[in-house]
Amino acid sequence: MKRTNADSLRRLVLCCIGSLGLLATSGAGADPSTAGRSYNAEFLGPVLDDSLIQHGKETYVVAGCAYCHGVNLQPLGEAADLMRSPMVGADDNGNVIGPVVRAGFPQTLSLSPMPQYSDLSEQQIIAIARWIHYARQQGRYKELVAAPDRRGDAAAGRDYFARACSACHSTERDLARIGRTYDRQKLRAQILAPDALNRQTSFKVDRRGDAKSLGRQRHGALLENYSKEDVSNLVSYLQSAR
Amino acid sequence: MNVTRREFGKLALGGLSSAVGISSLGSRDASAATTATAGANRSLIEGVQFGLQPYCYHDLPMTRENRPLLIERLLANGMGMVELMSPWVEPNFRTPGVTPEQAREKLRQWRLNVAPDYYLAIKKEFDDVGITVFTYYVDFRTSLRDSSDAEVDALFRAGQTLGAKGCVGSMWLSAAQRLASFPGKHGMFLGLHNHANLSDPDALSSEESFIKALSYSPDFKAVLDVRHFVAANGDCLGFLERHHSRVASVHLGDRRRNNGRSTPFGEGDAPLIEILRMIRDNQWSIPAIIEFEHGTLRSGVEEVQLMFDYCKRALA
Repeated sequence: MKRTNADSLRRLVLCCIGSLGLLATSGAGADPSTAGRSYNAEFLGPVLDDSLIQHGKETYVVAGCAYCHGVNLQPLGEAADLMRSPMVGADDNGNVIGPVVRAGFPQTLSLSPMPQYSDLSEQQIIAIARWIHYARQQGRYKELVAAPDRRGDAAAGRDYFARACSACHSTERDLARIGRTYDRQKLRAQILAPDALNRQTSFKVDRRGDAKSLGRQRHGALLENYSKEDVSNLVSYLQSAR
Repeated sequence: MNVTRREFGKLALGGLSSAVGISSLGSRDASAATTATAGANRSLIEGVQFGLQPYCYHDLPMTRENRPLLIERLLANGMGMVELMSPWVEPNFRTPGVTPEQAREKLRQWRLNVAPDYYLAIKKEFDDVGITVFTYYVDFRTSLRDSSDAEVDALFRAGQTLGAKGCVGSMWLSAAQRLASFPGKHGMFLGLHNHANLSDPDALSSEESFIKALSYSPDFKAVLDVRHFVAANGDCLGFLERHHSRVASVHLGDRRRNNGRSTPFGEGDAPLIEILRMIRDNQWSIPAIIEFEHGTLRSGVEEVQLMFDYCKRALA
């Protein structure tokens, strides 16, 4: 079912492209073996279950971002590394990315300045930002899971918690005695991918802005900005909540 | 018949024929294109020599291991000429566990010590299928930071052995000054490739900067990237009119003015039809090297074919 949703959206995107007249499906020179094939996006990888994110990825590619910044944010040449960019990390739903994309970076010592994309719509900007954040989260998750777990600084973890987590969580309430419930390894896993938020997204649920969707967004934003030290420090702090 | 570019685009897109079938490398187009005797003539259209900058194959990583696939794709697109970038030729030392500095040093040593036979074997790969290596593109921006004269000489020798008439690099003025004495020593030209940076006084982006850079050596030629030139608000037709004798090739692509985005051919501000007809009508020996960076969900081969078909119709 999920795949069907993704495919539907993809078909919709392709329909729009096809309507521009770019994709001829018949003609005197058409090879019968490929007649009807509209496009080939194998280089994009498998279709993602979340149709919104898939749409974001395709919008990112069609806009031309991937040529310099890489489909999965592995930059080519002098392009900015979006995986590590603090500016991107500070973005919320395109509020930072949007103005930069629209204006470009004409003032630079790089060989080729980033072009301006002043013609992109608000929805295109949001879709592009959605893919960038998703790709960052995926990339950072892989990095952090692969990183060796080193004992952190509990005091620094407490400060981080107060700054980034305390709006929703408290070691006096929902996370009371969490250090007894989970060992260090499980705490780490929960910080990187909380079980409570681990379910498939859907367009309807996300639109409702329910608590879990908001939680997922906030944890996603934290995840893409965590350093290895942040995670170790948080684990050490939460271990002390007994 | 005079047609506007918008009308032309509609005509071109409405009449597409080969793009659909080209996605399969076993298509009729591909098999016809493998006739080795055709050579560069394969992509000689109405007196304009076309070639490809294979950076356009966005779905094919640039490695020497992928060179056979590159050749297959060039043939599938009916190309008889290529601007070959060095990563298709040189080994990649940027492997896991190797620092960028170590990789750079390994590449330097490799360049200094590789035997000419290595390049001759690659030249043969292209010769055998009738593809001319017109130019050898080198990333001088990286190489010049810490390269010796011996390494620069080795790069020109590599290009020469590959059969290229010149080396090409994305250029800036101070680098051009340093390179002034090299191409002549090897009987080659150095193609100066522009970008769209108008904020850096050292950048090659405007007509004025081209004039300055070309004055450094009679062996320098312009590789006029028309999409970047347009994005830098340059006048492509005026440039060609005034400087065609110093133009080695044009990089053919489309962008919008004012540092605008790359677009499919016909959707940006580059006067592609006029450029191609100008080259044809004046019988200038200026190859049109197709190169684009606009985004697409189609395969590189399909997209190249669409852009190539646009050019063919421009000259029909």
